Amino acid sequence: MLGLAASRKTAWRLAVRTDEELIAEILNGETATFSELATRHRPRVERLCQRFFSDPETARDLAQEAFIRAYTALATYRREMPFGSWLRAIVTNLCYDELRRRRRRPEELVADFTAPEVQWMNLVNEATPEEIVAAAEERREAHDLANRLLDSLRAEDRTVLILKDSEELNVSEIAEIMGWSEAKVKIRAFRARQALRKQSEALRSAAKRSHR
Amino acid sequence: MEEKLNCFEARQEFRAFWRKELTSEDRAILVSHLAECAKCDRAFREFALSAPALHSAEEPPLRSPAERPAMRDSHSRRPAAVVRSRFAPRRGLAMSAAAMVLLAASLAAYFSVTTPIDTLNDELSAEPPATQLFGPDLNFSSEDLAG
Repeated sequence: MLGLAASRKTAWRLAVRTDEELIAEILNGETATFSELATRHRPRVERLCQRFFSDPETARDLAQEAFIRAYTALATYRREMPFGSWLRAIVTNLCYDELRRRRRRPEELVADFTAPEVQWMNLVNEATPEEIVAAAEERREAHDLANRLLDSLRAEDRTVLILKDSEELNVSEIAEIMGWSEAKVKIRAFRARQALRKQSEALRSAAKRSHR
Repeated sequence: MEEKLNCFEARQEFRAFWRKELTSEDRAILVSHLAECAKCDRAFREFALSAPALHSAEEPPLRSPAERPAMRDSHSRRPAAVVRSRFAPRRGLAMSAAAMVLLAASLAAYFSVTTPIDTLNDELSAEPPATQLFGPDLNFSSEDLAG
């Protein structure tokens, strides 16, 4: 009876340990505790990697690499910033470097679409907003096409869009993560939207042409 | 009287609308604005093209088995010129570089293996130089040295 109570107490204590407590434990030599910390943050980290790279394998590899970097640099972590934000900065810079390494260029958006992609674009052109939102969830091609659209952006532009729109960070937070000036973040955000609008218009026009 | 949105407010709501975070009342107000405003309607449709990658909270749905062959077919139908323009220059460069590295490695291996053996063979088979003056077979007497 006492044993059960003790194990429940231990389970409760483990369940409510904060990131900072886990980090302190890891830095005190309990390195195995890092897996608990990683498990806690893995879904968010993988989700962020997938915003940069739609290929699940690449996203998983980058997430893994981010955790290795975080583990290696854990001694430099300061409590002033939540661990999740610190980790997000590592993930973002890692993905950004990988985007630049792959040197994706805007002209690589090729105007050849699969039949499901054309159907999806026609739906976007013609259906009601609520039908579009409902259909997007079920259509893999909606994700494929959206990722191809983002692939057509410069690495800086894609990064700013992800941080601003998906992660909902403000200009100064993005500037701090990327080590850029706030002016640069604003310019890149503006250019990113401009480029995205242009590419989206081109896609919609292409879909209309192929529909005729 | 039904509340109305201006265009700026309407566009601020796109993300929440996509994520289904709006109340049914707010959703109706936004949809009503989109029905009346052609510019915002167009902006929403453009937003919808990138939104699955930027705003969907869920994992993208897996391709159904029925779709997989179609996707393969669609990729195989891509014009060859497009595929080449994307990858061919870099692939050609990489192949040339790899060939050069292989050639350099082969030459380095050849010389590193053959040169010492040849040198050793030459040394073993070589006769002593004719001008050798102080070889082991030569005995100098004190007279020779004095003479």
